[in-house]
Amino acid sequence: MSRLYTEGLSIGYVDRLIVEDLNLSIPQGKITALVGANGSGKSTILKTMARIMKPRNGTVFLDGKSIHSQSTKDIAKELAILPQNPVAPDGLTVFELISYGRFPHQKGFGSLTKEDKKYIEWALQVTGMIDFYDRPVDQLSGGQRQRAWIAMALAQGTDMLFLDEPTTYLDMAHQLEVLKLLEHLNEEEKRTIVMVVHDLNHATRFAQHMVAIKTGRVVCEGSPAEVMTSEVLREVFGIEADIIPDPRTGVPLCLPYELAGKERKPAKPTAKADEAIAAEQVEVKEEVLV
Amino acid sequence: MESSIFAADRRKRKRAYTIMLIIGGLVILSFIISMNTGHIRLSPLDVFKTLFGMGVDNQPLILFEFRLPRIVISILIGSGLAVSGAILQGISRNALADPGILGINAGAGLMVMLFVSFYPVTSNAPIFLLPIMALFGAGFAALLIFMLSYKKNEGISPTRLVLSGIGVAAGISAAMIVLTLRLDPEKYQFVATWMAGSIWGTNWKFVVALLPWIVILLPLVFYKARVLNVLNLGEQTSIGLGTPIKKEQIWLLAAAVGLAGSSVSVSGGIGFVGLIAPHLARRLVGPRHELMLPTSALLGSLLVIAGDTIGRTILQPSEIPVGIVVAVIGAPYFLYLLARSRA
Repeated sequence: MSRLYTEGLSIGYVDRLIVEDLNLSIPQGKITALVGANGSGKSTILKTMARIMKPRNGTVFLDGKSIHSQSTKDIAKELAILPQNPVAPDGLTVFELISYGRFPHQKGFGSLTKEDKKYIEWALQVTGMIDFYDRPVDQLSGGQRQRAWIAMALAQGTDMLFLDEPTTYLDMAHQLEVLKLLEHLNEEEKRTIVMVVHDLNHATRFAQHMVAIKTGRVVCEGSPAEVMTSEVLREVFGIEADIIPDPRTGVPLCLPYELAGKERKPAKPTAKADEAIAAEQVEVKEEVLV
Repeated sequence: MESSIFAADRRKRKRAYTIMLIIGGLVILSFIISMNTGHIRLSPLDVFKTLFGMGVDNQPLILFEFRLPRIVISILIGSGLAVSGAILQGISRNALADPGILGINAGAGLMVMLFVSFYPVTSNAPIFLLPIMALFGAGFAALLIFMLSYKKNEGISPTRLVLSGIGVAAGISAAMIVLTLRLDPEKYQFVATWMAGSIWGTNWKFVVALLPWIVILLPLVFYKARVLNVLNLGEQTSIGLGTPIKKEQIWLLAAAVGLAGSSVSVSGGIGFVGLIAPHLARRLVGPRHELMLPTSALLGSLLVIAGDTIGRTILQPSEIPVGIVVAVIGAPYFLYLLARSRA
């Protein structure tokens, strides 16, 4: 059963389609990882499914209704999204940031209700930020800051949590810290989590469902064992890799060793092929800028 | 544990309210000092007596017809400009945004100038029209800036907002200079004083023209404090938290234009109030708008009353426009901000 799925979704910037005719369904109660190369459209898909972007065509359904035609405040009670690299205003404390997470449940004036306080305190505790509640967010370490933002999204009290590259720019310990937290939320609190991740080994270890995306299309979707294969990695990332089982957990791990397709290039590249490659590179750059 | 977190927050709020009370007290103090000072000195006792209808000679005239409306107007425009600046800083997420920098003042100024060039300054021109004209000009400038800095899918970019604001302001100022050249000396004198930022509308008519805008818009903006909090977290996060951002941004921008435009129509080009007051407020009570907006309003009032009182007294009998006094305080602070934001 899935509460959230897309039908014939096409998404584009200005005059270029990034995603075309996407049908994707988010499994309830699982951690789903969206993986793909830079500019593959995974982040765009995540944002559109969380109604931050509007699609060109097609529909995102939440509980059977189009997400883009419902009141955005109502959706904020069902689904929380943490964008990439959010920035807090100077001097805002962890407590204040987390209390903003209660916004969809509040009206106009008035102080925090009992319910608000319950969620704020729980979010502080579950993210391990309780000792830092009075610290300005801009003075925290990268990992702490990310946990503070996750706590804000948690205070929203939603079943579904979307995260756009929650581990980017964090060192290894901080990456694990954040992913462990998400795992805990999924196992103990039964949250449905959808995240864009770059590290494939993180994806296979923490996600139960993986979606591999290339140029806005789903190349392969399923359990980590189904998605993490040499063929998929060659197709999606253009790399040659060995897949070995994790000695501790048995989930597939990838060891990349070569860029794929070098041999497939024509021995004497024609001017036309060069042009095509150059055009593609420009396009990728543009997407990164967007 | 529970109690300690929320108790800490309560203490913080209490501290903020105390700070607001202190600033409010300073506003009242400036009010009293301002009543006493001027070309004709009135002792506090005289002021007190006159307020209760026991003034002698021309005391009631000076107090009720000259000083009191001027002070009331100072309070209104101070809070209007400060809150307008706070809104603009909030929605653009740019600490350097204020109605002066964003060309809203200039837009209002241009319209005031056109108005003045059609009506003689001294005659009984329809004063109530002035804020409306100024609003029209401010709205036009704001719309132009908004259109220049708005991009689909990205919303208002803070950098584009400030850059296009500066551009529009420069363009309008140039147009104003061209227009000034065509004015007769008497009107030119008036416009020059206006541009320096002087509370020239010193009778009750202006209070009546200005009051509704401030009294209606301020509470409406305070009511939107939480929306401003969330908008401050960035476009994507605000949508995620359930804010219809386009609607809220436009609404708040309109309120900022209304507050700044109506204030400027009476006060002339007072800069810096909309920049400094929100900054100081944030320093004193933190970034939460439910505390920061009322504090800015009070600080804005304090700045304008104090500036006007200083301007009226230090070079007696001539007056220094309040805009210049505030700029003398404001410019160094602005530079200090720039130096700090680079660090």
